[in-house]
Amino acid sequence: MRFQRAYLIGFALHFFLLVTVASRDFFAVLADGSSYLPAALEPRWRALEDANFTVLGQKLPPNNPMRETIAFYLHAAGIEAGYGYFAPNVPYSYKLVFQLTYPDGTTEYELPSVATTETGRRLPTLLDYIAANRYEPLRQLILKMLAYSVWQHHRDALKIRAVFGAVITPSMSGYKRGDEPSYAVVCAYDFGFSKTERSPP
Amino acid sequence: MNEWFFGGTTDNWLAALRIGLGLQLVLYCMISRADWRQMFALDPGSFVTRDLTEALVTLGSTLVPRVSWFISAGEFIGLSEATVLWVAWSGLLAAGLCLVAGIFCRSAAIAGWFLHLSAIKSSALLSYGVDNFTSIGLFYLMLSPLPDHLALDSSWRKWPAKNAQLQSFWQRVLQLHLCVIYFFSGLTKLLGSGWWNGESLWRALTRPPFDIVPSEVLIRGKYLFIPLGLGICLLETSYPIFIWLRRTRLIWLVGIIAMHGAIAVLMGLYLFGLIMAVLNVAAFGIDLFRLHGKKVI
Repeated sequence: MRFQRAYLIGFALHFFLLVTVASRDFFAVLADGSSYLPAALEPRWRALEDANFTVLGQKLPPNNPMRETIAFYLHAAGIEAGYGYFAPNVPYSYKLVFQLTYPDGTTEYELPSVATTETGRRLPTLLDYIAANRYEPLRQLILKMLAYSVWQHHRDALKIRAVFGAVITPSMSGYKRGDEPSYAVVCAYDFGFSKTERSPP
Repeated sequence: MNEWFFGGTTDNWLAALRIGLGLQLVLYCMISRADWRQMFALDPGSFVTRDLTEALVTLGSTLVPRVSWFISAGEFIGLSEATVLWVAWSGLLAAGLCLVAGIFCRSAAIAGWFLHLSAIKSSALLSYGVDNFTSIGLFYLMLSPLPDHLALDSSWRKWPAKNAQLQSFWQRVLQLHLCVIYFFSGLTKLLGSGWWNGESLWRALTRPPFDIVPSEVLIRGKYLFIPLGLGICLLETSYPIFIWLRRTRLIWLVGIIAMHGAIAVLMGLYLFGLIMAVLNVAAFGIDLFRLHGKKVI
């Protein structure tokens, strides 16, 4: 009986964390105003989201042992994120295009390339992260790294312009009308690398 | 409650989970082999360098395992980064193969969980749902009472059968976890207008790089988008109810697996489809059939 009680207590803690994380992300969706619920309720959803952050120790100082331990457990158990895949609505996808300029003035276009289709299906995570990230230096750093990986295969290029944008696919009715997918630029950066550079940015 | 959690069950569910997760790890290794170095090396030309991804993960917790731990340990004994990455990849593959065969089950489950977790955290900017669900499965697998009776550990090494009460406990944990996953997934979808008018399903299938089926083919089934979109929401939200009822369990299980099968085929997310099928079959599917062919229900 004693071992059963220990297992049940462990389960209760685990399940509590699992539901708290799932609720946190659920309230975040509601607070963002992307659902059809009244906007007047958004501050309440935000308060509930904040409460879940507090329960998970995510408002403690970064080096707090309790915060570290909870975060480690969440990652270890695979429960650090909620389950709102493709919800409440499916987001736009993003595209990254590199424009390479050579000393003679010619230009060439490249896309981020990976060896396998499966890894290619992982790229949207990275592109979504770039799009969602509002911290400009980090966004620029990630794009510079990607540009650098492209430059490794085109070391004669004088300049690489990374153009990041949203792919707006037509709705069902738009498609029936003959609308084509369009591309809205989110940001663009110019990078130059010298041939003596040996390490990534 | 004790009776519900510790009522005792066979270990067939655990065999399904072990073999399924082993297969998942093997496929993950085979598929990512060509990009493994690019995903984790710090060499010039790496995609997004490992140190950036790990720095972002470390913001959450410095205790989360990551590939640079292995690299540092390797450097300590004089191994290059490339060698360590190759060893880590081989170790993960070996763990997957051992799980499929049922050899050194516990050690393989722990090694598989640790290596897989390290890999997905060090490539967090390239990971998606499949990695989380594999982590969840491996976490429960390594804590469950291994080996099951179908594992080679049981027949070759004559390991005795494990506690049936713990078998049922861990199966219950997995079952309840799946209920939470589908409930929140369905509920969040229901809050978006796109799932009521079919637009979300349309957009999911036409969104690059998941647009495997041409739009001109998809548009022919335009009348199915609304019922299918709503059907997915209802299937997921009501999963925690109807998966428990004996009369509806098979319908919900088949429905959910068919949904994941369709996602795999129509969006090319094969690994995601496989892991969800494995988790569902292990949690609820095995009870419907005995492995020896006799029906339980």
